[in-house]
Amino acid sequence: MSDIATNGGAKPEAEELVEIEEILQHLEDISFVAHRDTKEALPAIRPFGATSARRWIETARDLFFHDRESGKSFMRHSARLAEHMQTVELWLEQAARFKEWVNSNYALEGFMAQADRVYDAWGEAGEREWAEIGLRWCARSLPDARAYFETDFEKLAGGRGIDGLRALIEPAETLFDERGLTLDAYLEGAPIARNLVGDQGLLSWARRGADLLKAGRSRGEAYFRLESDESLKLLLEALPGFRPRMHGRFLRLVLMAWLDADIPLADSSWKPGEGRPMLETDGRRLFMPAVMDSREEAIVATQHAAAHLAFDTYAHSEVERLFARAGAEHPPLDDKSRITWRPLFAPFEARMFRFQVLFDLAEDLRVNARLAPRIPNFLPRLVALAEVHGRPEGVAGVYFDFALKAHQALLRDEPQDPRLARVLEPDADVVTAWAVGEELFADEAFPEITIEDRAEAYLPGLSLNQSLPVYPQRKRDGSLADFRDHEAHDEHKFEHQKQEEQPQQAPEQAQKDPDADIQTPQQETSGTGGRIGTGIPQPAQVAKRAAPYTPKKDGIPYPEWDYREQRYISDWVNLYERVLDDEDPERAATILSENADTLKRLTRGLEMQRPMRLAPLRKQLDGDELDTEAVIDYIADKKAGLSPKAFIYRRRAVQHRDTAVLMLADMSTSIMARHPGGQGKIVDRVREGMMLFAEAIEKVGDPYAISGFASKQRDQVNYYWLKDFNEDLNDTVRARIAGVSGRLASRMGAGIRHSLEAFRRSSAQRRLLLILSDGRPADYDDGGDQRYLHEDTRMAMKEAVDAGVHPFCITLDPSGSEYLPAIFGPGHYTIIDHVDELPRRLPEIYLRLRQ
Amino acid sequence: MKNLINRIRGVERDVIEKPGDAGGAPFYKPQGDEIEIFQAAYSKRLPVMLKGPTGCGKTRFLEHVAHTLGQPLVTVSCHEDLTSSDLVGRFLLEGEETVWQDGPLTRSVKEGAICYLDEIVEARTDTTVVIHPLTDHRRQLPLDKKSQIIDAHEDFMLVISYNPGYQTVLKDLKPSTKQRFVGIHFDYPAEDVEREIVAKESGGLDADRVEKLVAAGRKARALKDHGLEEATSTRALAYAGELMQAGLSPRVACRAAMIAPITDDPELIQALEEIFDAHFPESEAA
Repeated sequence: MSDIATNGGAKPEAEELVEIEEILQHLEDISFVAHRDTKEALPAIRPFGATSARRWIETARDLFFHDRESGKSFMRHSARLAEHMQTVELWLEQAARFKEWVNSNYALEGFMAQADRVYDAWGEAGEREWAEIGLRWCARSLPDARAYFETDFEKLAGGRGIDGLRALIEPAETLFDERGLTLDAYLEGAPIARNLVGDQGLLSWARRGADLLKAGRSRGEAYFRLESDESLKLLLEALPGFRPRMHGRFLRLVLMAWLDADIPLADSSWKPGEGRPMLETDGRRLFMPAVMDSREEAIVATQHAAAHLAFDTYAHSEVERLFARAGAEHPPLDDKSRITWRPLFAPFEARMFRFQVLFDLAEDLRVNARLAPRIPNFLPRLVALAEVHGRPEGVAGVYFDFALKAHQALLRDEPQDPRLARVLEPDADVVTAWAVGEELFADEAFPEITIEDRAEAYLPGLSLNQSLPVYPQRKRDGSLADFRDHEAHDEHKFEHQKQEEQPQQAPEQAQKDPDADIQTPQQETSGTGGRIGTGIPQPAQVAKRAAPYTPKKDGIPYPEWDYREQRYISDWVNLYERVLDDEDPERAATILSENADTLKRLTRGLEMQRPMRLAPLRKQLDGDELDTEAVIDYIADKKAGLSPKAFIYRRRAVQHRDTAVLMLADMSTSIMARHPGGQGKIVDRVREGMMLFAEAIEKVGDPYAISGFASKQRDQVNYYWLKDFNEDLNDTVRARIAGVSGRLASRMGAGIRHSLEAFRRSSAQRRLLLILSDGRPADYDDGGDQRYLHEDTRMAMKEAVDAGVHPFCITLDPSGSEYLPAIFGPGHYTIIDHVDELPRRLPEIYLRLRQ
Repeated sequence: MKNLINRIRGVERDVIEKPGDAGGAPFYKPQGDEIEIFQAAYSKRLPVMLKGPTGCGKTRFLEHVAHTLGQPLVTVSCHEDLTSSDLVGRFLLEGEETVWQDGPLTRSVKEGAICYLDEIVEARTDTTVVIHPLTDHRRQLPLDKKSQIIDAHEDFMLVISYNPGYQTVLKDLKPSTKQRFVGIHFDYPAEDVEREIVAKESGGLDADRVEKLVAAGRKARALKDHGLEEATSTRALAYAGELMQAGLSPRVACRAAMIAPITDDPELIQALEEIFDAHFPESEAA
């Protein structure tokens, strides 16, 4: 109580008391609520002295006059703050500063609601800094300040006190100034992101988000909410552990070898910060979390999941028996003909999770025991993993230990718990496991378990068996051989289809479906059982999925180089092969007739360039035929007393050095412009150039292709084939070339990478990639950072060289010499100053290059 | 003189030589009725085509039956530069004049031997045409360069091997060629047969290891066509067994004999290692 203000405002006590009464009076005249709240709070303030009390009531009044809501917040929280913090002046001064801004009431409310807890946790200095940071945000933007004060300070600090808070907010401050990043967007995901990428990675993570936010609001916000796959990807790449996605083929090969089962793998909807990553299945695919603890765990998990499929955990007939046993009927299949076991769990009500764990335990043991003879090291590996993992803390440990012990006994052929022994019998099935689960459930030695602890109760590699609705399986009795027939798919890749399909439903529809939210493995399924039965459908809360940003995922993925982090971001760009349907046969005819002279001149020069075919190799040491001339020489030499070597054979072989060329044209909007140095639009010259190029190379006889690219952000790069290698130069191709027009932006790296794929199909020894461009590579989402796509293009060039492709850039950009040497290297580009020369120069450049 | 000495020492022998009695016939464990079919075909001198994946025992089979029949066996491994003159023969210069030298096929035709053209599709297409007249009732070998036709010796027999699936569309025998042969299909032997073979070939590897090795090899075969062009062959299993016998640890032996030779694909290597390692725990020393 000694905290009497020492500032200049102190007056004799009586005077202060009078003033307080005056203000109270004043408030009473103005507002009943204000007067009442003030009177209620005042007794808690008075013990700190008359001066403090007077200053408090002045602040309350001023805040109330400034903004009624602010005043009310202030009054409402004051008593508590005073009591908890045992001081008044500190927060009073801070609160008073909110008067500087209009509409700061929400921020003030957040401040008042948390200040005492911050003070408790971090002391006075900590509280001061916390408030100071927030007040600085008030000066920047009030919605951001509100987000700051309303977010729980512990969450901001991430358990690291004021340092954690500082580290979290600093990048936002930098980016607010640099890119106008708002804090309320940033705070959505930053605390989770920080846990994954660390303080150092946070800035670059946020910068990318800020770029996206600039390009499109909903997309940027989805990024920060960690809903878009781009942000998840970046975060996941920073996570330690084994990435099933990168090893999808390996995992599938392993399953194929052991179980003769070709089971597709897909991404699960697991996100960082959502608890333990577990593998799930819908009976057709295995959904792998983005990261698992180790390679060993991923192998065990896939094998175990396959065992569930092979040994009929999800067989339709078995599930029906379960329902029959429970005296219930299976609810109708959902719209995708999937079954669910949920109604079976409903009778367990609040103790449902406890039963689930015990049932899974029995069922997992059953299928593992069946799998063990097929895969010799499966059990040893599982047990070793679990032993290294160690007993989890809390109640989950009891279950974990029980499961581990059962598996150890199985491995070492020791006696089992008699209850579990039943699932090891040869005729045991999922119904047996259910019965065993019920028996274990009756054992009070297993403590109650909550949904939060549930995941920890499982051994590594094992997971919840009923998290997803499942496509009913036929009974397999251990054979998965027919699995490969199930759906046609690309065996080398993870399926692009993501697990989350549900959010695309209309909201009303989602509410009608009782299992609408069933796809979230660890959702808040309230323990009362109300939501779980098939009884009255209740509104399903599809959490946090109001307006999800659904990334396009059906294209061809390519990586991109990020120079800021000096690494590739895998599958970053989505590329689509498109057909250019703007054909213009009339213009094609015009172009050909207008350029007839040039073409004739070219043709004459080209006749000389025809490649030689099937040239006989003469004077060989070995061959099909005697080379008569060589033989005569040889005999003559020999007769003359020399000892010539017997190079006397002739052999036929194809000798010409074949060159394949692909011309890749930048088809961005800029080619629609007029070029300062010539007549007409750039695109006119590009069309003519391509046309002459095609006609000329046709004469030479080299395999060639012509394509173009245009992009709209990283997830939509369009690649247009004007002429593929195996296509003939016909009128359709000519009409396509004549129909070229400019659109969108130029993400050159992706275009180059896709061209390299095309080259892979060609067997030519020399491969030439001619890039026709009119400016820098740029795209809408590069955040104005020119260097980003420059560096990416440079890396794509390097990849081209590594793939044995010789890249060469022809540009119409007069300022090309500023950046082209860095990207393509000196001597690997040429600048055409006069756009009108392009048509004539293009074939010439090619012919020069091919020599 | 030197040649004669070498011949006596057994270092060098003529292509066409009747099998000696020393050591008996090479080990071969029949998988089915292949021996009966071959003997029947031989009795009628019909050309035979051995089909089957690499390393499943085609060549060994032929060595075995040739030995039991007491017939010399001439094996020509075909490669993409093999021309018809390599089979039939060519003119060579010797001193002042040109001399004709018979190729292995011509010699077999003349002297009566089983001529085995291994992986015939690998050879240039002109070679397959040369064998046509030999494979029907004519049993003749035309020597265009010498303007001669040679009638085959009555003991002559033509055998080719052919590995289906291994060829690309571009490299396949013409149907007109294929239909001239009697086909015998081979595959990797059944598990117990394969165990016996590996035990025998490796020179007495203990039964436990043989069992594991064969079990692992059969699992590895499941990966064929998923990036693995050639499956783990019985031959490779036998090699691995021999390496273990020679003192290598099972894991090292498997890697050396069955993974390293067949693939460079890192994921496939991992998957194969996963299979072999599962059968041979790390604790198991050499």
